Amino acid sequence: MEQKIIEIQSVFKNYGKSIVPAVDGICLDVVKGEKLGVFGPNGAGKTTLISMMCGILKPTRGTINYTINENQFDAKTALKFIGYVPQDFAFYPELSAEQNLTYFGKMYGLNSQILIKKIDFLLEKLGLSAVRHKKLSTYSGGMKRRINLAIGILNDPKLLFLDEPTVGVDVQSKYAIDQLLDELNEKGTTIVFTSHHLKESEQFCDRIALIDKGKIIEIGTLQTLLSTYQVADLEELLIHLTGKELRD
Amino acid sequence: MRKLIASIKKEFQLLIHDKVGLLLMYAMPIVLVFIITLVQDSAFKIVNDNQLEILVTNQDKGALGDSLVNILKKSGSFIVEEHNQLSEHSMQQKGIKDGKLASVFIPSNFSEAIQNNTGSVTKLILKEFGMNDDSLMIANKNTQLTIYFDPILQQNYQYTLVTNIQTILFGMENQVLIHNLFSEMGYDEIPDYIAEKLTGEQTPVVAKQASLGKKQTVVPNSTQHNVPAWSIFAMFFMVVSLGGNIVKERNSGSFVRLMTIPPSFTFTLISKMLIYLGVAMSQLLLLFSIGYSIFPLIGLPALQIPASLAQLVVVALLSGMAAVSYAVLIGTYAKTQEQANGFGAISIVIFAAIGGIWVPTFVMPDYMQTIALFSPLYWCLDGFYTLFLKNGDWNELSSSTIFLSFFVIVCQILTFVKLKFQNYL
Repeated sequence: MEQKIIEIQSVFKNYGKSIVPAVDGICLDVVKGEKLGVFGPNGAGKTTLISMMCGILKPTRGTINYTINENQFDAKTALKFIGYVPQDFAFYPELSAEQNLTYFGKMYGLNSQILIKKIDFLLEKLGLSAVRHKKLSTYSGGMKRRINLAIGILNDPKLLFLDEPTVGVDVQSKYAIDQLLDELNEKGTTIVFTSHHLKESEQFCDRIALIDKGKIIEIGTLQTLLSTYQVADLEELLIHLTGKELRD
Repeated sequence: MRKLIASIKKEFQLLIHDKVGLLLMYAMPIVLVFIITLVQDSAFKIVNDNQLEILVTNQDKGALGDSLVNILKKSGSFIVEEHNQLSEHSMQQKGIKDGKLASVFIPSNFSEAIQNNTGSVTKLILKEFGMNDDSLMIANKNTQLTIYFDPILQQNYQYTLVTNIQTILFGMENQVLIHNLFSEMGYDEIPDYIAEKLTGEQTPVVAKQASLGKKQTVVPNSTQHNVPAWSIFAMFFMVVSLGGNIVKERNSGSFVRLMTIPPSFTFTLISKMLIYLGVAMSQLLLLFSIGYSIFPLIGLPALQIPASLAQLVVVALLSGMAAVSYAVLIGTYAKTQEQANGFGAISIVIFAAIGGIWVPTFVMPDYMQTIALFSPLYWCLDGFYTLFLKNGDWNELSSSTIFLSFFVIVCQILTFVKLKFQNYL
């Protein structure tokens, strides 16, 4: 039987005094070990949903529960099992890759010996060993994406949230990132991510959640959704369900 | 503890990469304290070291004009240059052209008028004693001594110069008066023993500095005033570096990531405050060391460190915490770095102005002195002056320490409320 790692029940999120919710009563279960892709047009509520799932935002209403290692957690207590890779570069560009990884590793509470090995492994895996002492401000966009990911997975998270992890990267960087994410998933990490690269994401996801105007409008495996709506690919499905109207 | 140490290390690494911030926090106050102290010291010397250059045109036909010029020369307060042939108008022009800060015009009837006026007073005195009658009374004659100031000379220096010359004139007039009295009573000269008493037994005026403590009082000078004042200004100016640093980090995404790694965000804030408190203390140490050891090498008075180091450390730490807490508050509420830098810097300049960093609060109008109480820099300065100038004890320090503690607490609470509201804590 599939085990839920996240259970989202009727979650709403309103920003400030806005009466239009950014997330409008979403109910969603994330299955342990799966790779769930959350897709939708701009302003659909993807980032807000992920921000609530990883504890950055508090829902206005509703609950999010986590079951990790057969124990129940709320958003606050589950944080130690969570890794987060935001869309913006979330590191200190004045510092080097090694200084950033050491700092965030210590913040995750990693032991120094383990941290050194972990940093060596990740930098090697992501092709950044040779530039480990250079300031991140001197890195290219692709290198910055890779280090942004490396920081988010330093703690071997049970649950990894990625917001547009491959935006603006070259093919080589994307390949390296995808490979690393696959390896993590094989070791048991559940991955929830958003992306605008629908074609590439089709291959990566086990399940797809389509979101628009703060609501989940469809969820399932790619094959099921494509056959249900008789469309050729994810892009066509998204256009079919959300329309061609331009979004802000 | 390991997390806090890692966080402090990261903040230190960020600080040493902030070259502009370091320049603002260390180089700017050093330059300021040198310039302001040198300028104030030389201004102090102009008035007190008797070096004011003046031009004198003496057209008096009697002897008193010469006497006045001689007294001015001998007083040591002035370097006198005489040009007696000039008209009043030409003297003004020459004074300004030659860079003289003041020119004194002694009119042709100067002696005559003084003799006449003191003679009139002499007659009145004698009449009061029944030794004269109205038929012998003399009408006053008008005269005036005119001093032309270079417009660049500030009013306080003008008043000082006028007072000096008035004092000399008063002395001269008294001497003429006494001479007249003796003359009216049939003496050719004032008897020597009386003349000696008149000139040698003036009541001495001794200037001393008031002290709150029992220890020897520190002599106030431009160093004692400026080093603490500009050290405080430097500490508070860290708002540009620390406030901007917080906004930058908040907007960069690093803070968002830290929100998913509790309690990293709290550690980040604590370590920022500790690092910048260290910066504030090092600023004080640096500026005090310069005042103590470098100033005497360039002819400025050396900074005299207060006897009680414990009191100095407490006031320094409280002032540093006030500066750090204010910077964190600005960094928390500002939405952009421009807001933090602009508002932060301007607010510190205003706090400094109303707090007495540039101009002492006692010369301000009453309502400004009340407003000054709302400036944290005023209370920092009050604390330092109590130690550096008055040798005050814990009791005298209580008002500044209480206010600064209150200010720190209020800033911290406002910061906490905002961060809690934004879900950072």
